Parts: sequence; structure tokens; C-alpha cells
Amino acid sequence: MAYEPVLTKFVKEPNCYTLDFYKAKDLGYEALRKAVTTMQPNDVIEMVKASGLRGRGGAGFPTGLKWQFVLKDTPKPKYICCNADESEPGTFKDHLLMERNPHLLIEGCAIGCYAIGAKVAYIYIRGEFYHVQKVLEQQIEEAYRAGFLGKNIFGSGFDCDVFVHRGAGAYEAGEETALIESLEGKRAQPRIKPPFPAVSGLYNCPSAVNNVETLANVPLIISKGVEWFTSLGPEKNNGPKLYCVSGHVKNPGVFEATMDVSLKELILGDQYAGGMKDGRTLKAVIPGGSSTPVLLPDQIDIPASFDAVAKAGSMLGSAAIMAVDDTTCMVWLAKNLLAFYRHESCGKCTPCREGADWLLKLLTRIEAGEGQMKDIDLLLDVSKNIGGKTLCPFGDAEIAPVLSTIKHFRHEYEAHVREGCCTIPAPWRGTRAPALAGHH
Amino acid sequence: METVTLTIDGQSLTVEKGKTVLQAAIEAGITLPYYCYHPGIGVDGSCRVCVVKVEKMPKLQTSCSTTCTEGMVVSTRDKDVVEARAAVFEFLLLNHPLDCPVCDKGGECPLQDFSYSFGPAESRMDFPRRVFDGEGVKADVDFGPTLMLNRNRCILCTRCIRFMREVEGDAQISVADRGNGSEIATFEDEGVHSLMSGNLMDVCPVGAITTRDYRFKSRPWDNPSVADTICTFCSKGCSTSEWIKAKPEWARGSSLVRVTPSYNPDVNGYWMCDIGRFGYHWVEGDRRLRQPMLRTTAGTLEPAGWSDVLHALRAKVAPLAAAEASSVKVLASAHASVEEFFVLKKLAEGALGGVNAVSVLWSRSEKKQPKATTFVVPVTDAPNVNGARDLGFAVGAGNGGAADVSALRAAVEAGKVKALLVVDPAPAELTGDFQWVIDARAKGMLPLLVVQAVEMCPLVAQADIVLAGAAWLEKDALFTNDQGRVQAASQVLSAPGDARPDWQILIDVAAAFGVSLGYLSDADIRKAIAAAMPGTPYASVADVAFSRPVAAKHWLQASNPSERWKWDFMFQDLPPVKGHSVQTEQGFVEGRVIPLKPVG
Ligand SMILES: Cc1cc2nc3c(=O)[nH]c(=O)nc-3n(C[C@H](O)[C@H](O)[C@H](O)COP(=O)(O)O)c2cc1C
Ligand code: SF4
Ligand code: SF4
Ligand code: FES
Repeated sequence: MAYEPVLTKFVKEPNCYTLDFYKAKDLGYEALRKAVTTMQPNDVIEMVKASGLRGRGGAGFPTGLKWQFVLKDTPKPKYICCNADESEPGTFKDHLLMERNPHLLIEGCAIGCYAIGAKVAYIYIRGEFYHVQKVLEQQIEEAYRAGFLGKNIFGSGFDCDVFVHRGAGAYEAGEETALIESLEGKRAQPRIKPPFPAVSGLYNCPSAVNNVETLANVPLIISKGVEWFTSLGPEKNNGPKLYCVSGHVKNPGVFEATMDVSLKELILGDQYAGGMKDGRTLKAVIPGGSSTPVLLPDQIDIPASFDAVAKAGSMLGSAAIMAVDDTTCMVWLAKNLLAFYRHESCGKCTPCREGADWLLKLLTRIEAGEGQMKDIDLLLDVSKNIGGKTLCPFGDAEIAPVLSTIKHFRHEYEAHVREGCCTIPAPWRGTRAPALAGHH
Repeated sequence: METVTLTIDGQSLTVEKGKTVLQAAIEAGITLPYYCYHPGIGVDGSCRVCVVKVEKMPKLQTSCSTTCTEGMVVSTRDKDVVEARAAVFEFLLLNHPLDCPVCDKGGECPLQDFSYSFGPAESRMDFPRRVFDGEGVKADVDFGPTLMLNRNRCILCTRCIRFMREVEGDAQISVADRGNGSEIATFEDEGVHSLMSGNLMDVCPVGAITTRDYRFKSRPWDNPSVADTICTFCSKGCSTSEWIKAKPEWARGSSLVRVTPSYNPDVNGYWMCDIGRFGYHWVEGDRRLRQPMLRTTAGTLEPAGWSDVLHALRAKVAPLAAAEASSVKVLASAHASVEEFFVLKKLAEGALGGVNAVSVLWSRSEKKQPKATTFVVPVTDAPNVNGARDLGFAVGAGNGGAADVSALRAAVEAGKVKALLVVDPAPAELTGDFQWVIDARAKGMLPLLVVQAVEMCPLVAQADIVLAGAAWLEKDALFTNDQGRVQAASQVLSAPGDARPDWQILIDVAAAFGVSLGYLSDADIRKAIAAAMPGTPYASVADVAFSRPVAAKHWLQASNPSERWKWDFMFQDLPPVKGHSVQTEQGFVEGRVIPLKPVG
């Protein structure tokens, strides 16, 4: 069954990002017209609920439900906050959507606003996406000019503004409450929950935080219908899905498929990443971004769906599939990822602020061949003391690479200790020391 | 009051609805550690040491951010909790310098105390520690005019940041950098410039923020006594604790080493301003008057005995009043206590032609504070304008305006006043403008000047008779604050040398004028006040309990300013000395503040 992409169908065509192109070949704001002129806000929520759309930002929470939870009886304004922070290592799908199909997102933002009773959507875009911000802002401008945003859209009386807000480049700003803080002009550090954003979010008003890809699916559901959506992919894992495949593969990139495509196909299949480079063998797979536990080659013949990957002991997360070959030292891999987490920890809560640094120090020592066997157990223990004990899920994220590499590749850790050096020193590895916050 | 009932460690507790599990535990005497929580600022949930297990919840919860619900079952001693908590302590101490021997917080440090109770015995950290500004005390850096900061000791609880944002009203402190590099910072390292800065030492649970005033001056175990009283620098009347250093008679230096706020929900909450906190030095300062003085025939002021000065009053001043009551006037500062004003009133009515003979003086100053502050320091720099008002003295607009002594001034400048008695038990700068009195003396318009004061100053230098009085910390006395609340200030120190409490001096002065009052103690005066003012808040002042310095058996019982609120109001003590409560032990839990309704 050949799947016909809907999110990324035109991304390789020139001018695909323009309003004219979107009107001529894609949805062209007809979904928004349908929603605001023929449906009640609650009908939109019901439709999204019926579609079973699950959030594409990482947790896979049902979007319709999230919108339903947004407090209704309140005199306060409500907000859609589009999470375009996309900073999870290995993830680059939202980037593509915003750059090549911005109107689908803008239309999704407007429909989202209509559904929850908001008049404003903020697109919180990752600090480094400077060029994407320019495209988005131009196209938002176009949408205003065409009357798809602004006052009294399609004569329905519905007003909607969409603003782009650029972050300063922090992974933690992608956590929904940290994103809200940052939008308010504060440091991107998470808030304690409850209250949840649906009750008290941006400016302490009811808000929904939705990922870019999530919102991009909404106009498709409105225009093509619930049945179309649920016909794609396995039960409870419906709809089109973007996968970012990277690592030692021949053809890295973003691939659109339904969630019955297998992890194995995505990595090895010719129509996807095309298999491992230079004829080498697959050693391990990180299936959903660096925060998700590593899977072994014999675990990947499963659907790349939220539920199937969870069942295999990992997470689909942001669908950032990283495949590494047998030249990869897993201790080095864990160290490399921990350098990222150590750098990106916001520092608000004790276990993560102190623990990430300790983990990195231990990993660095072991990787350099200066560790002891007890350091390996200490890694496990420190991870245990972080996991589930932090203010936000970052703590769980940072221990995933440590725990899963020790689980599957403990022998590599032990070899480092025994031999007093790295036993798999790949030639392609950079020597640059990672930049660390604080230099302490 | 709506309540909910929950179980903590098998103990069934009924608490006010809306309370958190941490608050419920503290109130029930169940010891739980906490750092980012402070009862006076909002919940942050970041330090993670207050974790507990709540039945039916998969993860451990931070008790400071968990609201009690009906039927909730909580454990603070479950194995998971014990381990998770110990782990947080291990994390907190990974980079903490553990320089307790040279740290000002040592001995009264919640990080020390709770680590001993809840932390692991050893650390498994074998990497060099994070260092910010240098090793050891070299890391102490300027943090504005009143404070020092040591970033190595900071545990990033952000209490200081949130205090500035939520209470002070100007968010001068923030965190710079992030993650493991996070450090407390101010814009361009300007430090904290605030009238409320001293509170940052109180809220900081470690020795990261210290006051220049107290650092290296004493140790908790050298301050075995603490007395609860009130501050009298302005009309607010914050509840305070005065810290007394133990030292032999012959040792130099002052015994009062620190003033901190004590919790009073009706007046100051957990806070006080720097004017009151750092303004105590004059009490044991060099300018204090230690004995009465008389002007000699040679024109110099010489020390004298009390009988000499009272004789001089009887011989020189009383006859003037006897001849013409209106020729003798009183200028009393609103730093005089309710008792002192009461005696003055008797004196004025008995010998000076009525209360109009007394003019009440105070000074005002605008305090520079941010608009958003929730702690407003009043403009009136005197504690008892309302006390004078309630006793029937003319105070014009009271705390709402400036003192008006223009009538007295005109009379003095016209030479109509033959003798003036100034009563001012406060440092002269606090009371305001006396220059006109000095000028009148210089011009020979004021034949006799009697000054009852506590410090040498230009006014005292002009006096014929000097009566050495007592500071507010040297006598039991009442002051009525700007809310109309009659508050008790307790004696903490003795007046220096031959100086005497002012009520006592004024009784003798009245006697010299032939007004015999028969009060033998300050308590007698309060009985008389109570009898004279039925139906007012003063009707019960005879029963006021005054605090006494607490001679703690164990130094810890009387230490730790940031945790004092617990002992005072929740009857809980810190770990090592669990089960003790200084306040209940001494039997004066209530009584520092008379729970009366404001007048008028
Ligand atoms: C540390 C951390 C980083 C995150 N980064 C992102 C991100 O870059 N983009 C994103 O969409 N969601 C991110 N999330 C997930 C968001 O918190 C949130 O769940 C999501 O935006 C909800 O949108 P969805 O329901 O559409 O998936 C992150 C979560 C955490 C804990
Ligand atoms: S786990 Fe804590 S320190 Fe880490 S990112 Fe979340 S809130 Fe910040
Ligand atoms: S300086 Fe003190 S109060 Fe401020 S964050 Fe650090 S430990 Fe907390
Ligand atoms: S006191 Fe509860 S998390 Fe800090």
C-alpha cells in the first residue's frame, strides 16, 4: 500500500511555502473556513478527539482531550502556544514543516484557537531557527493580508492573531511550562504542576501547548475527515507521522509514513534511510530522540508507533530515530549525550542540576579509561536518584542514555575500565571538547 | 474554618483546607526538611528535599507543593522517601564547600542540621568541587552595601530571588547562567540595594548571604540569649529578636550583636527593614549618657548624682511652675512610651496647667522603596505617636502628618517660657529638629533647659540639667503602633551606668514639682493606665507579659533566625534538639503582642 504524504508532499517544490501555492495545491485555509463557518468550537474538539490524534511533541497525549481540559468558564483570555522549540537531539521535522509548509501550521494554529476559544496563538520557535522565523513571519503576514488571520475571519466574527516568538536557544524551553515562562519573558524554567497549563498557563490564563506537527495535523482532520485519519496506521496510533532518521545511515532525512511502518524499514528500507553507510552493521537504535532508551537491532522489527515502541521498552518520543553502527563506542555515545544534558539542564531542581554534572564527570572518566568498576554502579545509582525525582521530565530524559547503554553494553563499560582506554575509538569521532555552561 | 483530615506517618491530622502536606507535618511536629519553601514566600518545588510518599500516587511528591486532601495517606519515613531524601542531600553537598568552621551560618544552618538528620553519612563524590569566586572565604564577594555573598555555599533554593520579587518588590537578584553553572547574580554585580536587604540573610538557608554587620562577629553558641521585643524606629513596631552575646564583665565590645525579625502576622510577618535591623549600635555606643549632669557655676556640664539633679529641679524649676504654671513647658518625643506619657500627663495636669503644656515631637522621612513592595516602611520615625494621642495629647494629624510644635516654638522664641523640659529617650537624630531650642538658648531666650535623654548631642550640651534615661531595650514599656496596636517592648539590657528607665525619672521629676504619684514600678503605672482607660485597648495593659532573654540550655534552642518562626508559632524545634520549644518552655508563647483591636 503506497502511502501518499500529506504533510510533506510538496516540500521539494519551489515556492511550496507561499500562500499562492498553498491555496492552489494544498488545503488553502478551506479547513479553517469550514471550521469557523460551519462548526461550533466544541464540534472541532469532538472531531479531533474522535480522530484520536496524539501529540507529536514527545508524550503522545491525545490532543482533543488536552483541548477539552482547557478551562471554559473564565473571563480570562485563552492561548494556543505552539511548541516549535524542537531541540531534542536528532529531531528536525518541525523545522521542515515550518520552512516548507508554514501555512498548514498557521491554519492549524487558527483552528486550535477557534476550538479552545482563544484569539491568540504564539509560535515559540527555537532560538537557532532564525531563518525559519523569517519565513514564518512573512507567511503569517500573507495570511493576514488574505484575511485568514486578523479580525472577523471568513465573516464569522472569529478573530485570531498569530505571533512568532523566538527563544534564546535552550532545550528546556521546549518543556511546556518552561516554554510558557520564557514566553512571559522569564528564564525558561519549568513551573510546578498542578496547576496545569489548561487551567493556568500563559499569563496564568488557560492555555494549550501543542507541537508543530500536532497542529499541522488538525486542518487535515477537519478537511479530510475522521475516517480518513483513523484509516491510517494502527489503532490508537493513527494519522500521518513524520520520522527523522539520522546516524550512520546512507540517506538521513525526514520521512512521512503511517505508524505501521517499522523501525527497521525506516532505517534499512530503500525508500527511507536506505541502510547503514559503508556496508557496516547496525549496532543500536535510539528510536525517539536522545531521551529515549536504546534498542538493539533485534528489537526494531516493530511498528514505529507510540504503543509498539513503548512495549519494546523505549518511547517514540519525537520520532527522531538515530541509528549507530558497530564503530560506535556506547560509553562515548552516553558521554556525548550527557554533555548535552549537562549543558542544557536548566538548573532549577537539585537532582538534575547536580546529577547531570556528576554523571558526565563519571562518564568522562570511564571513557578516558580512568574509571573503576564501582563507577559503573555509581552511574546506575546516581541515575536512580535522578529518575522520577526531578521537577520536570528532563531528569528522566538525561538518565535514559546512561541506563540503557549500561543495560545493553555493560561489557563495553567494563572493557574501558579494564583496558584503561577506549576500546572502540572510531576515526570519525570529533576531538573537540563539548561546550559546557558555566565552565566550572 | 473548613478542614480536611489526612494521615501522616499513621497520625491522623485535621488541618485547615488549603494547607500543604509540609505545613501540616510541621504543625504536627513531624520533622521534614525543606529549603526552597519559606512560609513568607511562594512555593517553588525546586529543592526536592521535602519529598514524601502519598498513597495512590506513583511518584514521590514534594510535600511543599502538595495540598492536603480528605483521606490522604502520607508517609515521611517510607524506605523510598528516606532514600530519595538522602540522595537529594548527597546532591546538595556535592559542591558545597563544607567550610562550616569559617561560615557564619555554622551552628544555625538548616543545611547542617537537616543533613545530619536526613543525609547520607558519606559522599561518594571524588571530583574537585565547583568553585565560583575563589576557594574558602576568598569566595566572599560584595553583595551591595549591607551584604556579602558566597556563591560556593549557595544551594540555589532561590528564596533570595523570590523574596526580592514577591516581598521587596524589586527583583534585583536573579540566576545567571544555567544548569550546573547557575549562580546568584545581580545586574552588573551591583549587589542588593534595598531597605529590606537584611531579610536576605534570614531567608538564605546557608551561609551564602551574610550581613556585613554580623559576619565574623559571633557564633550561635556564643549567643545563648535571645529576647523577643519590638523595634521602635518607626510607627510600624515590628516584632524582633535581640541576640545577646555571652561575655565576661570585663570583655570589650557590645553584648547586643544582632537584631532579627520575629514572626508577627498582624504587623510585620517574617520581615523587618534595615533601619531597625542595623540601627541598634547606638544603644551600647560611646555617646550614651551614663549619669545625670548639672551645669556648674563655671558654665560646664559635670556629672552629678540623682539626688543633686532632683534637688536642682526642686530648687530652680519647680518654683517657676508654682509661680506661673504656664511658664514651664514640656517637649516630649514620640519615642517616649505609653507609661512615660501617662506620668507626663499627671505631671502636666498636677503642676503645669494641663496636658497642653506638653508638645509632642517626631520626625518623618520618606523611605525609598519600590512601588510593588508588600512591606511598606512608614514615614513616621517614632513608635508612639498614637500612644500620645490616646492619652489625650495634641498630635495634629498624628502618623499621617508632621509634628506641629510651632506654638511652643513661638512661645520659646518670644521668651515666654522660663523652663523647658525635653523628654527624648531616642538618639537625637531620630527625633527631629531641636535647633530652634539651641538657638533660643544661645540668644538667652530660654533661661532654663532640662533634658532627659539617652545620648550626648548638641541639645544635651546646652542643658542646665541632664537626666540620663534608658533606650527602649532597657525598660519594659508599651508603644502604640500606627495600627493602634498596643505592643509590649521588653527589657533586654540594663541601662548603662547610673542611667535610669524614663518612667522612674519622670516619677521623681513629678515629685520635684510636688506631684506625688505613688507608683513604685512600671507595672504600677500600667495598672493606673488600665484603671483610667476602661473600654479601650489599654484596659488590659496591666496583664501584659513581657519577654525575658531566653537563657537557652542548648545554644541551638535559641538560634537559627530563619527557622525561629517555627519555634515561636508552630512549637516545633529543629533536629538535634527535637521536642524542645524555647517559647513554650518559658511560658510566654503569647503576650509579646497584645491581641487587641486597633483604636479609632
Ligand atoms: C525537556 C523537555 C523538552 C521538550 N522539548 C520539546 C520540544 O522541543 N518540542 C515539543 O513539541 N515538545 C517538547 N517537549 C514536550 C512538551 O513538554 C509538551 O509535552 C509538548 O509540546 C506538547 O505538545 P503535543 O501534545 O502536541 O505533543 C519537551 C519536554 C521536555 C520535558
Ligand atoms: S529536571 Fe530540574 S533542573 Fe532539570 S531541566 Fe527539569 S527542572 Fe530544570
Ligand atoms: S543565596 Fe541563599 S537564598 Fe539565595 S539561592 Fe543561594 S542558598 Fe538560596
Ligand atoms: S521545600 Fe519542597 S521542593 Fe523545596
